[in-house]
Amino acid sequence: MGHRGNAKGPVIIKSGLFMLAAAVGLAAFAAQAADPIKVGMVAPLTGPGAESGRFQTQGAKLAADEVNKAGGVLGRPLELVIEDDQTTNPGVVLAFSKLAGNAEFVAFLGPIRSTQIHAMAPDALRVGKPVLIGGTDPVLTHMGNPWFFRFRPHDVYSARVIADYGAKTLGKKKWAIVHSTDAFGTNGMKNLVESLKGMGIEPVLVQGYPNNSQDFTPVALAVKQSGADVMGTYMTFEPDQGIFAKQLRQLGVTLTWVGSPTTVTTTALKLAGPALYGSYAVVDFNKDSSGAAKAFAAKYEAAYKSAPDIFASWSYDAVHVLARAIGEAKSLEPEKLRQAILAVKGYAGAEGTYNFDHNGDGLHGYNIVKNNNGTVVFDKHIDFDD
Amino acid sequence: MGFNLQLLFTGIGVGSIYALVALGFALIYRATNVVNFAQGDFAMLGAFAMVVLAIDLELPYWLSILITLALMVGFGALFNLAVYYPLRNRSFLPVIISTIGASILLENGVLAAYGPRPQSLDSIFAVPGFSVGDVFFDSQYIVILVVAVVMVVVQYLFFERTLTGKKMQATSQDKEMASLLGIPVIWMIMLTFMYSAMLGGLAGILVAPVLFVTVGMGSSIALKAFAASIIGGFGDVTGAIVGGLALGVIETFGAAYVSVPYKDAFAFLVLFGFLLVRPQGIFGERISEKA
Repeated sequence: MGHRGNAKGPVIIKSGLFMLAAAVGLAAFAAQAADPIKVGMVAPLTGPGAESGRFQTQGAKLAADEVNKAGGVLGRPLELVIEDDQTTNPGVVLAFSKLAGNAEFVAFLGPIRSTQIHAMAPDALRVGKPVLIGGTDPVLTHMGNPWFFRFRPHDVYSARVIADYGAKTLGKKKWAIVHSTDAFGTNGMKNLVESLKGMGIEPVLVQGYPNNSQDFTPVALAVKQSGADVMGTYMTFEPDQGIFAKQLRQLGVTLTWVGSPTTVTTTALKLAGPALYGSYAVVDFNKDSSGAAKAFAAKYEAAYKSAPDIFASWSYDAVHVLARAIGEAKSLEPEKLRQAILAVKGYAGAEGTYNFDHNGDGLHGYNIVKNNNGTVVFDKHIDFDD
Repeated sequence: MGFNLQLLFTGIGVGSIYALVALGFALIYRATNVVNFAQGDFAMLGAFAMVVLAIDLELPYWLSILITLALMVGFGALFNLAVYYPLRNRSFLPVIISTIGASILLENGVLAAYGPRPQSLDSIFAVPGFSVGDVFFDSQYIVILVVAVVMVVVQYLFFERTLTGKKMQATSQDKEMASLLGIPVIWMIMLTFMYSAMLGGLAGILVAPVLFVTVGMGSSIALKAFAASIIGGFGDVTGAIVGGLALGVIETFGAAYVSVPYKDAFAFLVLFGFLLVRPQGIFGERISEKA
């Protein structure tokens, strides 16, 4: 206070103000630099898919943590904001529109269930920002929506691998197909029928069932009566698969089983137990399929004290690929980001090597695994060029 | 022949699951004139309690069953105090909505507490079942059927032959009159909730080895059990088991001979039919007769 009226006063005040301004400016700059890049994620935290939702969000969080520990993207941290989609179609539409209403989000992680992705597709198109999805219905990336990017190989590939392995490697010709009547199951069935037709095989039985069935006796009896020696399945929920597997074995049906990825999830193995021993499955993620897969599995186990699942690997890859694309694009502008994701080639992820095609499909093949008395054993990886 | 016998056995097995839950519906309806939409969740709670006791805490199976049933009796009292008692003087609608709210709370509460991973529970028997010719008899289905029949007999005797049972019936038919006659209405209703929660828990324990233990297991069974109750005659003990068994058999044969994807539709088609032609159900009495 003693400086009041002193000639030096204004200088001191000015320099003080300058320093204050500089401090405020620095703080603002620091805030801007640390301002997170927000990524929205819809995941089933409740409902029948809540189990998969846990894996899905943990995979994505693990990747976001890794990106942030490595300095973030464009000098800013990634922030995941998760909304519950309740494993329902209305739920996903609500969750997505809640996130998409906020202009801060640069991209989104969508569901793993095709039927839910179809439900939110019109909104995704309207929002016009990248939506990274895990649903395997082939149509999703072939219906003129440029904003869907898929981080799992689609069902034409799974069907081709199931058909190829069952008919050529195992030499089975009498096929039964059992599928859920939802979008995932129905499309999987259609692709498998198509793939078998390409090999000159007409299935002896194609049988659908509604999700959350309490009993599969009529289905198991139909398989038994068909006289099939191999069965391809597209089943959505593990409890359904567990009940079906047990009842099938109880009725004395011992045919070869080549199933979709849900056949070898941790939960499916636990619920069905010995009823699924000896079955084969196509999976997009297996920890022994590559070095990147092995590294991901080790990191996931260290973080969550449990083995990762197919539900965790794709979201892990999606966050990493998105971070890489933002870095390459040096921009958060949706179209630049879109081009940067499409330009990703040869990226070794947990699911396989990502080579994005113009449709937005990153992966083009599957692993074949066998349930060896409760242990999932990697057999081989099959990639297609087309 | 073996094919049809297998379907019949499975249909009866599935039907007895519906019947067990429908029994709980019948009891509470008789005592309070409202439908308890959380009845299925009683089964879910019982199944989860078994998982915690028998698997997580590794207690003996029989002891786990006894503790679960005791817990469910306590839970029934709590449910009565929290969900029914504050609304007891209102019409049936607020109470029904209250039970729906309780159902949502219970499912999400268990989800939050235990997590979403489906659990499996072993059967009481080491042997999963036996085959006679082409037909496989699942031991768990046999147990469910036997227990359902026993519970029906117990309930029938209780309502028709004991004073408490008759007091409960009187409470159901006219609370004011029952009260005037000196029947402790509040205690009768409390007792009903305790017993039906235990019954729900028992259904959950028995069903768990067949359907696995999931948060949504109760509500999907309860929907069919509700249809079974209407078909059998709402509030009727014999109707609950006959309706349940009929629904299980119709559904299973419908799936095998007509269409598996439309399996659930058969149950509700039968329900529509009954609502149109005989709304009081097979064993139900007409409202006018009752009054």
